[in-house]
Amino acid sequence: MIEARDLTKRYGAFRALDKVSFEVKRGEVVGFLGPNGAGKSTTMRILTCYLSASAGTAKVHGHDVFDEPLAVRESIGYLPQRAQMYGEMGVLEYLRFVAELRKIDSNAFKKRMGEIVEVCGLGNVLGKDIHTLSHGFRQRVGLGQALLHNPPILILDEPTSDLDPNEKAEVVDYIKEIGKDRTVVLSTHNLSEVEAACARAIIISRGRVVADGGIDDVRARGGRVRYVVSIDEKRVLESGGTYRENSSMAPKAGQVEDALGGIDGVLSVVETPSDDTAHSFVLKGTRSTDLRAEIYSLCVQKGWLLLSMNREVQRLEDVFKTLTRGDDAGARGRTLADDVDEDEDFDDEEEEAREDEGDDAEEEDDDDDRDASEDDEDGGASDDDDDDPSEDDGKKK
Amino acid sequence: MATLTIAKREFKSYWNSPIAYVVICVSLLLLGLVFFNLNGGFFEANRASLSLLFGYVPMALGVVVIPVITMRLVAEEKRSGTLEMLITLPVKDHQVILGKFLGAWGLVLTLLFATALYPLMMFGVWDLGSLDSGPVLTAYLGLVIFSAAAVSIGLFISSLTESQIIAFFMTAVLMFVLHLFGTIIKINELSGGLKEAISFVSFNSRLADFIRGMVNLRDIVFFTTITAVCLLGAFWALERRKWT
Repeated sequence: MIEARDLTKRYGAFRALDKVSFEVKRGEVVGFLGPNGAGKSTTMRILTCYLSASAGTAKVHGHDVFDEPLAVRESIGYLPQRAQMYGEMGVLEYLRFVAELRKIDSNAFKKRMGEIVEVCGLGNVLGKDIHTLSHGFRQRVGLGQALLHNPPILILDEPTSDLDPNEKAEVVDYIKEIGKDRTVVLSTHNLSEVEAACARAIIISRGRVVADGGIDDVRARGGRVRYVVSIDEKRVLESGGTYRENSSMAPKAGQVEDALGGIDGVLSVVETPSDDTAHSFVLKGTRSTDLRAEIYSLCVQKGWLLLSMNREVQRLEDVFKTLTRGDDAGARGRTLADDVDEDEDFDDEEEEAREDEGDDAEEEDDDDDRDASEDDEDGGASDDDDDDPSEDDGKKK
Repeated sequence: MATLTIAKREFKSYWNSPIAYVVICVSLLLLGLVFFNLNGGFFEANRASLSLLFGYVPMALGVVVIPVITMRLVAEEKRSGTLEMLITLPVKDHQVILGKFLGAWGLVLTLLFATALYPLMMFGVWDLGSLDSGPVLTAYLGLVIFSAAAVSIGLFISSLTESQIIAFFMTAVLMFVLHLFGTIIKINELSGGLKEAISFVSFNSRLADFIRGMVNLRDIVFFTTITAVCLLGAFWALERRKWT
């Protein structure tokens, strides 16, 4: 259905996408994950023929995005980020406008509208002007226009951003409903949505695909498990076998943290906020071991009251954090110079790329100049950040 | 087909906001004041002619009305993000540009033909004299193709920026300069190639022929060429998003 091969997008020396390849099969609902500026929107814009890739190819529904943009656009429904529509138009008027451009005749439109109104819950707003609608309803109208021609493929760019939690849940429900009989690619940086709606996740970071697979596979990639432990803050075991409040004996957070950290196989201990009755901690361990028994016996031995303990496979969020670490807003995308310094194994390729662009190999001398100019370009290309060049420099050294 | 759909939406959207009403009302009002009062006005001149009217219309159209109408065409869509929604529908880029051009030109023509109320009321209803209708018709023909050129210039400039304000001022200044040649700079005082060049690009001297009742093929070609070149430019500016 969707096939992307080595998609690369450069903005000057700034590389927004770097050889992104993936495939989405018929009927899959795929979550496209990544921090802001990782290249999600750029990828989607290439797939919808809004932008052209600098290199690489993509096919959507069998049509090449470069050669047959109209055929591609006919086979997809697209909801761009923030779903901007003509605010002065009424909802029905706007949908009719889209239908006209999609060459849907008025009978088919009426029939289709019945379904859309039902699926997207637009019944009460059809006569209203778009600019008077709440974000949630605007998003629904956006979904409606994307579904109007009953497309086999749906591409949704951050369909839930700017929505309140209720609206988010609603939109996720719609997506699940819609995804039953079509291919959906959905970008987001909200992981719970992916877990709720998608069977598969592609994680993209700084223009590269860093993970691609079923949600469980991706989740397992971290190779870690977490334990959530809470221990009563006031009561301790007293002689006689009962737990009583005892301010002098009560465990201090630091004590517990040290003790838990001392268990063999615990990789990290982080205290999490809780009310003043309990200390809560998140521990990380490897997947191959189960530390619950050790944690329990530690508490028994110390006389602490264990209130709860939970072992869970690492959350998607943690995998996401691990895989996209260092991808802060100040360093959106990568400059070529970054590549060279960061990953040794890409050295050769990068050299080639540079030579392609006319930079020859006498680098040592003009290295600094180029770094500086690239920093500038980086700042220009990233649109909503406060770029801190000193931060970049620090990273390079 | 898609072109007409876009043009229709564009034209309607002017009437969904106050722009169209304000522009048409204010223009007609000002035109009336200027025509009947400035420098003694129509009655002082004591001739059954509208050349006075047509003397003011192009300047007002080019420097104020058309920049106001065209400034939002692409700039506003780029800024608000609706452009992405529009372009990812199955439409070609040139249909977007042509549609927007036709929509905006449509509004200018509406205004232009609203000014036809003047000759109709003055010489049809109140019978203020016998009007030589030939020059009036050629003047309108001239204004129609002049406004096509001006709208396409505005559209082109609007497609270069994301700011309506910048689009407005750039269009207004450019149109003002093109009018300046031939009014403030007295062509007759210059000589040789410079005179030739300035009177060639001057919108005023081009329109003067039409107002005198002459239809000059060179003038028609001039305005049509400007329209075509600016539409191509706007198309290029829209395509540019793909590569930069």
